[in-house]
Amino acid sequence: MTWIESLTLNSPSGFWNPIVWLAFLVVFAVIGYLIYSRGNRSYKPNTDQVKPFLSGNEVEDVEEIRVRAGDIYWGFIEALKGYYSVLMRMHTGDVRDYILWYLGLGAVILFVLVGGV
Amino acid sequence: MGKLTNFKRSLWVFHASGGSCNACDIEIIAALTPRYDAERFGIKLVGSPRHADVLLVTGAIPRDFADKLRRIYEQMPDPKAVVVIGNCGTTGGVFYDSYNIAGPIDEVIPVDVYVPGCPPRPEAIIDGVVKAWLKIEKLEKELEGKKE
Repeated sequence: MTWIESLTLNSPSGFWNPIVWLAFLVVFAVIGYLIYSRGNRSYKPNTDQVKPFLSGNEVEDVEEIRVRAGDIYWGFIEALKGYYSVLMRMHTGDVRDYILWYLGLGAVILFVLVGGV
Repeated sequence: MGKLTNFKRSLWVFHASGGSCNACDIEIIAALTPRYDAERFGIKLVGSPRHADVLLVTGAIPRDFADKLRRIYEQMPDPKAVVVIGNCGTTGGVFYDSYNIAGPIDEVIPVDVYVPGCPPRPEAIIDGVVKAWLKIEKLEKELEGKKE
């Protein structure tokens, strides 16, 4: 077994060898550098020249213009505000609280179903 | 006219309308449509200043638009040239000295070529763009000189 073979990890789905991986890394780094070196060097970093074009408007911080997942439910939450404000206070993120609720509600259900018998 | 020797690729133009009455804008479009067909020379209207070599500006520039025009100019890669189309952009035209006008375009961004007229004919616009092309060739030679 050669030293390269000794570094090769064989598996039913293929093989992995750090030397081959490094060789590919070097090849792709060279290709990347060649593309980079052909780029326009006269551009001015840290100016509007490197910012996206928004019809001449200033590019705002991405956090200001992004539609967040919570915004999708805004109307729904606003319409049921009274209900959700209670639920959100109960929603602590603490798993022990949820288990307590689970046990408590389980006990109530059990009591309703079999408690009277 | 000088020889086009250095700027070997197509010339792409971006059109910024600074509140013009649309007459100059229509003449720019006329320069691109089949009668004149500037695109056959590679003179192409593009949708972003990031891709443009020449900025065509029309209209007297309202104060609210001045900072946007500056930003559009800054977003263009070097070398670049600015062509003002029409009387309003060149001098302010009938809006000269109005309270809401930022002034002729050369008071907002540097201008290389003026194409006066109300509106100018497409032939004049194409001539202005060719002059801008020569200016860009000169600027590119300067840039290459700096590199060497």
